[in-house]
This record gives sequence, structure tokens and C-alpha cells, in this order.
Amino acid sequence: MTMIFDQTTPLAGLSPASLLRAASAERLLLLALGFQIALAVPSLIAFGIDDRLLNGISVWIKPLKFQLSLVVMMATLLWLLPLIDARTLASRGIWLAAFTAAATAIGEIAYITLQAARGRASHFNNSTPIEATMYGIMGIGAALLVLSALVIGIYLLTRPSPFAPTGLRLGGGWGLILGAILTLITAFALGSGQIGGPGHWVGGVRTDVGGLPLFGWSQTGGDLRVPHFFATHIMQALPILGFVLDRYLPGQVRIGIAAGVLASFAVVTATFVQAVRAMPFL
Amino acid sequence: MDFTQLFPSASSAAMLGWLVLILAPRRPIVMQSLRLGLIGLLSLTYAVLIFVYFFRVEGGGFGSLAEVRTLFLNDGVLVAGWIHYLAFDLFVGTWIALEADRLGWNRVVQAPILVVTFMFGPIGLLLFFIMRASQSALTTAKA
Repeated sequence: MTMIFDQTTPLAGLSPASLLRAASAERLLLLALGFQIALAVPSLIAFGIDDRLLNGISVWIKPLKFQLSLVVMMATLLWLLPLIDARTLASRGIWLAAFTAAATAIGEIAYITLQAARGRASHFNNSTPIEATMYGIMGIGAALLVLSALVIGIYLLTRPSPFAPTGLRLGGGWGLILGAILTLITAFALGSGQIGGPGHWVGGVRTDVGGLPLFGWSQTGGDLRVPHFFATHIMQALPILGFVLDRYLPGQVRIGIAAGVLASFAVVTATFVQAVRAMPFL
Repeated sequence: MDFTQLFPSASSAAMLGWLVLILAPRRPIVMQSLRLGLIGLLSLTYAVLIFVYFFRVEGGGFGSLAEVRTLFLNDGVLVAGWIHYLAFDLFVGTWIALEADRLGWNRVVQAPILVVTFMFGPIGLLLFFIMRASQSALTTAKA
């Protein structure tokens, strides 16, 4: 709440219902963030004692990676939301975007964690009708999650608060938009199974064993998770760039963000081409 | 995982919690450490045990008595089930204590209700409900 109401943005003239909606949008994202942490804590301990493996690595690696990633994503949206104009922030559009982001983030992680506890794969799992259906639903949920970030990014560019620092606003807006678009493209390539067969591996040994530490990316062949990772985290990289520019190079903000957008695009393209050619990232 | 260690540790921790609840002053910090600290820790332990062991039990589930029996044949799930009792009974105990304080019940009267809740959870809760109902019925009648 404080993030919205501590601002000097004039809130006069807004109806109580719309003020409530603005506070509710923020609370939804906060709750979704808390839900990720609440599942991450027992998942981390389970990782320490559970000996079950999936494709040669602990069943808990995947939920932990997604929990962490979604904490970062919810935190990013919470960070950028108050830069939107107060009147817009109180609109139904923002509320719907925040609701969609929170609901899909919670739904995805609930299923991923449940499947880990069952010792079964959540992604690329078509072995039972229910799991195949759930994999499909997760795909739709993930697309909606990314689209909600895209919507918030567009609002940030078109309806900014007059008090929003330029770098953070542009970095945040373009970061969410470019990040969302490239995430959707890489996710589609990854999920389609058209490149290197079903799964995210292209050539090489199809396992995370011996993969890049922490990430598990293949070191023997291409891995479509690499461009997907960079695409998703443009949503953090560009706002952080904007924040730094605001602080240290306030005169170069626009050119700096433009350079950041090009660099992000280049990194995702390069790692995508690399993966498609079955070359390991490192 | 050594369940023969986990079982007595969890039980002793819960026992300590009950002693604190029955004997210690009801400061907010005491009640919060019971709820967020001790019960939180028991709940976390329960969550980890369920995460790791529950779905491994072949033929286990909540659908029939046979399925539940199969579940509890697994030591991991059995300890989890025990910790479920410990955590939820103690939470109900803290709730009864706070309600009883609010109603102004003497701590000596509260003690047996809490001990019964500790030993046989729902019976303690039933005692509290019936005592509270009869008190309110009698005070209304008198007024």
C-alpha cells in the first residue's frame, strides 16, 4: 500500500472504489510473491533430503528455479507499478493485469511444486491424459502471465506518473514489453518441439546432469532455455539499467535505454541462433 | 531420514509449547512465538515430510480406510501425520487460551481444558465450546 500512497501523486478526485482497486492490484502481486516464498522454503529443505531424481537431477531443482524466477517477476511488477499514473493505476485494466499475473503465477507454481512432490515432470509430460492437459493449461497460464507484464509495460509507457524518473520508466516499460514479446517467442520455440525434437535440448546429451552450474543448461549441445532465460530477464535488466542511468548518467537516459534494448535483443537472438545450431552456451 | 530422531524432537518441542501456554504469562510475544515460531516450525516440518514422502506411497490416499492405512504404513507419512496433530492441537490450544482470557476465565480453570486439548485435541475444544455456551446462556438468563 505504501508504495502507492506514499507518492506525491495527487489522488484527489478518485472514487473510493478505484482507490481500493489500486491497492488491491498491489496486494494481489504481493500475495503472489509471498506464495512463491511460502513454497520455496519447504522446497529448499526437501531438496536437501529428497533423493528422487528426474532426468538425473533432483526433482526439486525445477520448482526452486521457478519459485525464484517468479519472486523476481512479481517484485519487478511491484517495483514498476507505482510509476504508472494514479488515475490509470486505479483503473480496471491495471487491476485485471495484476490479477492475471498473480493468479497465473500462483497456479503455475502450485502445479510445478505438486508434480515435484509426486516425483513427476510438470513440463513436456504427456504420459497421462491429466498431465498432458495440465501441461497445456500451464502453457496458456504462462502466456497470460507474460501478457499481463506486457500490458503493464504498455501502461507504463503511455500513462506514466508525472513523478516517474525517466530512466526507470523507459527501462521498465520497454523491458516489460520487449521481455514479454521475446519470452513468448522463445517459449513457443521451446514448447513447439519443432527444434531438435520435443524438449528444450538441441543435439547433445539430453540431460541436465553436467549442465551449467545452477542453471543446468546443456554443455554438450544447444539448449533453448538459454535464450528463454535472457528474454525473460530483460524484464529486470532494462529497469535496472534505467535506474542506474537515472542516478549516474541522467543526461544519457534515452540513448542508454535504446542501447540496452538493442543489446538485449542481440543477446537473445545470438543465444537463440546458438541453441538452434546445437551449440552449448558456454 | 532418521524418523526415530525426528519423532521425539517434534513431540518434546510441542510439549514445551504446551507448558509455556499453560503456565507462562500471556504476553503477545509469548503467543506469537508459539504460533509463528513453534507451530510455524512444526508446520514447515510437516510440509517438507509431505513434499518428500506422501506421494511415494503406492496405493496411499484419502479415499478409503485402506488407502489411509497404507499411507500410515510409511514412516515418513506417519511422522508427518503425528506432527499434524502436534501443530494443529497446539494452535487450537492458543486460540482457546486467548478466547478464555478474553472471557476472563481463571487460569486454573483453563489448565484442565488445555491439558485435555493437548492429549485429545477435539475433546478439549468440545469442552471449551460447551462451557462457553453454558456460561453465555446462564449470564443472559440472569440478566
